[in-house]
Amino acid sequence: MKAFFVDALTSALDLGIATPEDLLRHVTPDVLAANLPRPLWARLLTACVGASRVDAQLVVETLGVSNLCEHMPAAVIWSCVAEVGQRSLGDAATAAPAIVTRPAAKAAATPLSITSPPAPDPVKTPASPPPAVRGPSIPAPGTSSDTDEDRAPLRARTPTRQPFRATSTGIGRLANTTSSRRPQAQAPAPAPVTLDPTTERPVRRGETVVEAEVEVETPAREDWRNALAVEDEQLVDWSSSEETLTAAGDDPTFRKR
Amino acid sequence: MMESGLEHSIFQPSDVLAHATPDVLATHLPPELLSKVLQASLASGSMTPDRVLETVTPDLLAKHLPHDVLWACIAAAAARSGVSTS
Repeated sequence: MKAFFVDALTSALDLGIATPEDLLRHVTPDVLAANLPRPLWARLLTACVGASRVDAQLVVETLGVSNLCEHMPAAVIWSCVAEVGQRSLGDAATAAPAIVTRPAAKAAATPLSITSPPAPDPVKTPASPPPAVRGPSIPAPGTSSDTDEDRAPLRARTPTRQPFRATSTGIGRLANTTSSRRPQAQAPAPAPVTLDPTTERPVRRGETVVEAEVEVETPAREDWRNALAVEDEQLVDWSSSEETLTAAGDDPTFRKR
Repeated sequence: MMESGLEHSIFQPSDVLAHATPDVLATHLPPELLSKVLQASLASGSMTPDRVLETVTPDLLAKHLPHDVLWACIAAAAARSGVSTS
């Protein structure tokens, strides 16, 4: 702020817009006495005593605009700047400040009032259509089958997680019963799995996927599988009944196999 | 003493300001006095020792300025007049 005052007053003095008398009209001797440091007072008195003429110019030149702006109250400096501005701009200066200050606060209201008239008309017209637009965007809950099929391709990314859910939680079955669930679980897992029961291994829908992964990932562990081969027989017994399957899904040991 | 010396022209206002320099005045005078000095100078267009002492009277000088400064002024005047041996 002080730098601004320095620039404003310096340029005003240089351009003749303001005079030292203008400055001293606000920066009175009383103001100087109250705010000017003693060393600057000493400089001023020294200059005044040795000068043939003591005037505002001498005071301003001796003290310097920067010192005045530095030590004088900002309100005093601003009053000087404001007076110079109003005087240099004439009537426009007096009118402009009033308009500028108040409109600044009303600025927000003015644009709103201007924009509001056109906006309401178009907004009301489309207001009725929006509900129809929302129907299609929201359809997921209303038309679950259509949207699910449409979004099925998007779910293609998730298949990697499906095996985990199918084996561990068996959410795929629940998904079949409750269509509200999203397509991911329904599309891949249920259809092939329910049809497999002919082989009496419907439960292994998930297993097929899991086993394939296991085989690919652990080809070198055949020895480990051979060691488990004995247990596979037991697994076949469990798979024959659904109860065993559900239990197997919850049993962590079954997963490992 | 200051008032008497000025009244009897033992020393002049300029002699006073030779000791009560602007630095001394600026350091010891209260702000209101500094303001009055400046106002008087701006009003008259000059800051002469006489005008300064019209504002800062000998009483005020004795009240606000260090006494050794004032005494130096008196002693110098005495020396000039040949009263003092130094």
